[in-house]
Amino acid sequence: MLIELTKRKEPSRQMLYLTPVIAVVLTMITGGIIFTLLGYNGAGAVWEIFIKPVINPEKWQDLGVKAAPLILIGVGLSIGFRANVWNIGAEGQYVVGGLAGTGVALLTWEMEGWWILPLMCVGGFIGGAAYAAIPAFLRTKLKVNEILSSLMLTYVSVQLLYYLMRGPWKDPEGFNFPQTRLFNDSQILPTLTEDTIIHMGVPLAFLIALVAWFVMSKTVFGFQVRVVGAAPHAARYGGFDENRTIWLALLMGGGLAGLAGTFEAAGPFGQMVPQFPTGYGFTAIIVAFLGRLHPLGIIGGGLILAISYVGGEGAQTSIGLPNAATGIFQAMMLFFLLATDILINYRLKIGEASAEAAQ
Amino acid sequence: MNDAIIISIVMTVVGAATPILLAALGELIVEKSGVLNLGVEGMMLIGAVTGFAVTSVTGVPMIGVFCAMIAATCAALLFGYLTLTLSSNQVATGLALTIFGIGLSSLAGEGYVGKTIDIYASVFPAGLAEHSFFRVIFGYSPIVYFSFFMTFMVAWFLKRTRAGLILRAVGESAGSAHSIGYSVVGVRYAAVAFGGAMAGVGGCYYSMVLTPMWAEELTAGRGWIALALVVFAAWRPGRLLLGAYLFGAVMTFELHAKAAGFSLVAPEFLAAMPYIATIVVLALISLRKSAGAKAPACLAQPFKAST
Amino acid sequence: MTKLTRRKILQTSAGAAATLPLIGAPAFGADPLKVGFVYLGPIGDHGWTYAHEQGRQDAIKHFGDKIATTIVENVAEGPDSERVIRNLAQDGHDLIFTTSFGYMQPTLKVAKRYKKIKFEHATGYKRSKNVATYNARFYEGRAVCGTIAGHMSKSGVAGYIASFPIPEVVMGINAFTLAARKVNPKFETKVLWVSSWYDPAKEADAAKALIDQGADVIAQHTDSPAALQACEQRGLMAFGQAWDMSSFAPKAHLTAIANKWGVHYIKSIQGVMDGNWKGGDTWWGFKEGVIEMTPYNERIPADVQAAANATRDGIIDGSAPAFAGPFNDQSGKERVAAGAALNDGDLHKMDWYVEGVQS
Repeated sequence: MLIELTKRKEPSRQMLYLTPVIAVVLTMITGGIIFTLLGYNGAGAVWEIFIKPVINPEKWQDLGVKAAPLILIGVGLSIGFRANVWNIGAEGQYVVGGLAGTGVALLTWEMEGWWILPLMCVGGFIGGAAYAAIPAFLRTKLKVNEILSSLMLTYVSVQLLYYLMRGPWKDPEGFNFPQTRLFNDSQILPTLTEDTIIHMGVPLAFLIALVAWFVMSKTVFGFQVRVVGAAPHAARYGGFDENRTIWLALLMGGGLAGLAGTFEAAGPFGQMVPQFPTGYGFTAIIVAFLGRLHPLGIIGGGLILAISYVGGEGAQTSIGLPNAATGIFQAMMLFFLLATDILINYRLKIGEASAEAAQ
Repeated sequence: MNDAIIISIVMTVVGAATPILLAALGELIVEKSGVLNLGVEGMMLIGAVTGFAVTSVTGVPMIGVFCAMIAATCAALLFGYLTLTLSSNQVATGLALTIFGIGLSSLAGEGYVGKTIDIYASVFPAGLAEHSFFRVIFGYSPIVYFSFFMTFMVAWFLKRTRAGLILRAVGESAGSAHSIGYSVVGVRYAAVAFGGAMAGVGGCYYSMVLTPMWAEELTAGRGWIALALVVFAAWRPGRLLLGAYLFGAVMTFELHAKAAGFSLVAPEFLAAMPYIATIVVLALISLRKSAGAKAPACLAQPFKAST
Repeated sequence: MTKLTRRKILQTSAGAAATLPLIGAPAFGADPLKVGFVYLGPIGDHGWTYAHEQGRQDAIKHFGDKIATTIVENVAEGPDSERVIRNLAQDGHDLIFTTSFGYMQPTLKVAKRYKKIKFEHATGYKRSKNVATYNARFYEGRAVCGTIAGHMSKSGVAGYIASFPIPEVVMGINAFTLAARKVNPKFETKVLWVSSWYDPAKEADAAKALIDQGADVIAQHTDSPAALQACEQRGLMAFGQAWDMSSFAPKAHLTAIANKWGVHYIKSIQGVMDGNWKGGDTWWGFKEGVIEMTPYNERIPADVQAAANATRDGIIDGSAPAFAGPFNDQSGKERVAAGAALNDGDLHKMDWYVEGVQS
């Protein structure tokens, strides 16, 4: 049997949208086989991780809450990735955004009013954007590779968080435990109804993704980003300012990551703690790729990742699958997606390759 | 401060510097070939768990180190297949490799948590390391001497050999290298494999020498410090050695200063130092006109021969 | 093979939890009590989580099929833990133990919504009607370690690797130092804060730094055995943490404070079964058997072992509490007069050090 790749005349749109699905299916099959070989219940693992959270309505709110920050950060990152701006420091922007929102909360902790939460969100957005401005400045002024600078800044941000939690922002009544005081009622994102855990940040994240879709596909800005990313030379001749695009892409990416940070702090956490960074900024890169850098796809990608997290926990209690399995499934999903990417530009032929090769 | 303390501090710094030096040497070659592999942490963990497991089964640390190299190289080749043969995005693939490595190592190491092995210590006769002065020279694990040897080899390879020249050409201008007839993908495969092997040795230094045990995420993020180190050293092996020892000294100094009763700056600031310094270096080298210290021109750009 | 056994444990317990309700009630009509455990680390961490897991095993041994237990390991503190705890509540557990400080808010939040379920949170300080807290008087064990250190140390200097200056850690340092100074009035404890509960490489380096400063015995309030290994290499002495760690350092390991949570778990489960579960705080020590010393290393001479046992017995019968006066604080000022002792309220907010502590 022969496997042959022939280049397509133009990228296949079909494959562009089909490959993420293929990747997920391949992950389920391969993952199931691997875990069976390791002596676990492989089919059960796939069922618990990928299917059960979807068919059990009780888990839907968990999926929404877990997916929201991933979608928000993923959408922000996709703008940059489209413009060939590789901001991989979203985790740092998420942390600094969360800290900025927390800073507003700590400043207003004895106050109440409807204006506090919006102020926290604005603070979070600005915080994240300001942190992303560092790589933007370095890239546009000094041509410093933003991959490296944004990654380094992530680790700096984590130390900043630790410093604030152990020192200046420590809860004065918290027996020296390294965490801030609890946010008050005006600082906590309200939930949609009385007995759900879905906070306002969740619908907002989905809404922002939809707005991003509109902006990216219907406005000059979106067009500019795509042109700068796809054909920088053409963009220059067309009079588009590359530096301006880089700035905007990084500020948007950082800002949305920062907003996600504030949503998390003011939503599920309800305070700031040293355990705040949980890798959302890195996972969102996977989400952005799974979603094909398209806001609607990113919603899907965020939900898939959320399913694997929630399902992974379920699999621990129900079939005793170790926690590490979730990470392996997630990595496999991305490996398969990246591997099947080639189908977009190439045609896969299995069998005797002869007659059609002429095309 | 007496001699014994100074000697002990020196030895602690060596312990902190060696694994990041090894992993960074590998990544330096990878980046010189124009590939950015962000999976260093994942490969180090795979090396760490393999080295520990094999040593505890066979009782021979040499075999453990060897298998750690092989296992981490396999992980690197997976990255290579995706990024080089299938031209996938290097950033995303590298991150996936790290997630994969964390998961795989903790799954594979499950049965080894809570066990210990004999430390892979100095191979020199014990008598030599008795005296405090000689201990500074002879008192280390063979992996430490290997890291010095490899620093020298990498420097020599890049500067003096034809193969090194080709590697740099591939990293600076893949297109031209290809048109002269070099296999860009082949060279990069070799570089990626070397990067994996070195990360593997660096990883098993933790599980076999520094703290002879296995625990989940044993390397605690030091693979990212190795990545920073490559940039900090401006892609030069000599500076890499200095940088590794500087980073190692920063990590060690804090504890010794505190134990002695000094506390100069916030420990968080010291912990952030390597990363801040790296960003500053990045900015500084881009200010200079000389091209030698700059990032390889083709870094993280996929290459596909257009035939 | 550890691996096999462990998976078997997971599967049997989880299998029991999942299938029993389906099979229906056992012969006499009493459904097993469903008990959930939420763990911070992997069961195999040989430290904190391992000790809790042993406690669960003790409870299973005690109650047999009258209880069905479920565990979830590696649960990150913060929103992820809230989801896990809520899932356990939804699955019909009657009693849920959350075994890490960072689960405090999540436990309280979930408990608010599931008022019929009892929750017990380890090491926290916030309670509600159906949320109790529990902890062990580790400082009593630290006093025994201090007695041994006072006798065994030649340099009269101990190194103490500590995580964060919360009351729990502070009282451990103080109890250790007080006991050692009763043996050797010039005894000093050098404390090194590593700002982490678990970082093997850093703990090893910290141990070395303390040794270089003259310490010949190391105590720790962090979770990995790395410091013990460092002492083993240098031919010095150290105390294990949370569990017998002598396998890591057969010569250096003097003894360790073992956490026997089973004693508490059995009491609580019995309370729920009998319908007389009471909330509030449980703080047990040697007397109740929640902590005990692991077998002494044979290098400890018999008279020192006897002295150590005397310290323990004095605490148990109340004749010599760990914090009995007279003693001074760090500045040399008398803090507790002769004949007096600190009470639990003082201990719970302890943020000062006794004479002889260098921090």
